[in-house]
Amino acid sequence: MAVLAPAPGAAAPVPGKKRLSRALSERRTRFGLLNAAPVVVYLLVLFVYPIFSTLLLSLKGDDGAFTLHWYADAFKGANLEILLTTLRISAETSLLSLVVGFVLAAAVSRLKPLWAGLVMVVVVVPHFISALVRTYGWIILLGEHGVVNNALTGLHFPGAPFQLLYNEVGVVIGTTSVMLPYTVLLLYAVMKGIDRRLMAAAASMGAGRLTIFRRVYVPLVAPGLVNAGILCFILCLGYYITPALMGGPKQTMVASLIDTQVMKQDQWNGASALGIILLLLTFAGLLLLKLLQSAGERYRNRGTAS
Amino acid sequence: MTELRSTLAGRITLTVLSTLTLLFLVLPIVVIVITSFGKDAFGSFPPSSWTLDWYKVLFADESKWPAALSLSVLVACLSTVFSLVLGMTAATALVRSDLPLRTAVYGLVLAPLVIPQVVIALGLFLFFEPAAMLGSPVAIALGHTVLASPIAVMILMATLKGIDERLEDAAASMGASRLTVARRITLPLAMPGLIAAAIFSFITSFDEFFISQFLSSVDTVTLPVQVFNVLQYDVDPSVTAISAILIGVAVVALALVAVVRRLGGPGQQEGLLPTEPGVGLAAGGETAS
Repeated sequence: MAVLAPAPGAAAPVPGKKRLSRALSERRTRFGLLNAAPVVVYLLVLFVYPIFSTLLLSLKGDDGAFTLHWYADAFKGANLEILLTTLRISAETSLLSLVVGFVLAAAVSRLKPLWAGLVMVVVVVPHFISALVRTYGWIILLGEHGVVNNALTGLHFPGAPFQLLYNEVGVVIGTTSVMLPYTVLLLYAVMKGIDRRLMAAAASMGAGRLTIFRRVYVPLVAPGLVNAGILCFILCLGYYITPALMGGPKQTMVASLIDTQVMKQDQWNGASALGIILLLLTFAGLLLLKLLQSAGERYRNRGTAS
Repeated sequence: MTELRSTLAGRITLTVLSTLTLLFLVLPIVVIVITSFGKDAFGSFPPSSWTLDWYKVLFADESKWPAALSLSVLVACLSTVFSLVLGMTAATALVRSDLPLRTAVYGLVLAPLVIPQVVIALGLFLFFEPAAMLGSPVAIALGHTVLASPIAVMILMATLKGIDERLEDAAASMGASRLTVARRITLPLAMPGLIAAAIFSFITSFDEFFISQFLSSVDTVTLPVQVFNVLQYDVDPSVTAISAILIGVAVVALALVAVVRRLGGPGQQEGLLPTEPGVGLAAGGETAS
């Protein structure tokens, strides 16, 4: 704390004050470093280092030498199919979550604050209930004699009862219900900020409802759609519970494959390569999000400048 | 009239569709609670007669649920303590100091929320396996803290931002030491946030499946892993009862958070759950950009 003592020559007020403020800011920096240390050390040891060692393991052959053949294996035959299935199911789920989330968020953003708050509670509370439990709920609902099929048969719906479990329909329904809170929250945050007078202005200038929706509303919501869609896709990529419980053999996702390779086949190198591929896909998604966001910003700025 | 009025047909369609969507979210939860009281656990719905048998079976002598439940509670408590310590120090560093590389630290803290959980779980498995720590409650709790601490940091950052820094400065100017200021001024004011952070860390750990699955051994299995194994391999109707209990725990925990926020004064009330992971994800996207 010797820095804090004013230097003997600092009679002039300005340099003295400057020195004091510099000393204070040094103190604040030290205090910050001291407090940031636990979390940084913890995450470096238990988050960054383990992922780094996964990367190393995925590049190591049986003899310990550098190899890429675990990655070559991942892009071959059955493994490649699982990778493509993962991308397909993630895309289907993100799309469905976006559409359903868009409708709900648009409806909520028109409600009075009290009602909107209540609806958002209904959206958020399920998010904190274990996804495992909610998946089990879907298994009860969608079974051959489950509530949904009984209702459809009761209504003499043509073709009922349907096979809704252990196929892709079941996986997409179950996963969408797990992802929906994210899309609704992200879209609602954007929609709440939209100035509804813009739509009225467009109408006063003679635009039809469809034109207003297409040319005014959707462009205003677009940043939220991009954000929600990509994040949902990323979250689906590594998702395990619902596809494992509600899917059939054709709905195996990468996370299930990693689990099998580690737990049943002791195939750690191959599992590591798959994990790193998931990680790279995630980074690619985040990068795409960033590029689209900055492109959108440039586009909007150009609009206001001209 | 500055708003574009929606047509009646449009409003009806929107209402019907959004009601269906809410049902889509709520129905799987309601169906479990109802089925858990039904006599024929896997049979027809709604149940033809009612019973509490499935709950009684859970605590019968040869039941494997109590062991799984107590392990999960132990792990969740440990993880909550770790997350609170890491969360409070990290939030202080990020909100109350001139931290060099602040953006990098903040990005590192939020990163576990966007990285696929299977990658985190695999890494932790490779970390703890050579140390022969698989199945150790401490290892599982340390693993859960990777996911729980970002949530604690976000909640506590919001809490600290809501506390007037001049109160701390005033106490310090009157001669209180840093520790006294923390103990007598900051901690009492941050109490609602600390309780919320503790509850969210607890549920995050209590419900966590993937990391537990990779870090558990044959005889130490957490509750979610046990539920998963039953759903995938055995047929055990008491799983409906345990699922209903998990739902109850989550709802009670969220209700507690709501009560604490309400008691925490007017500054703490905006929104019931302003710090859910969804917002964290949005923030994660921001830092990644």
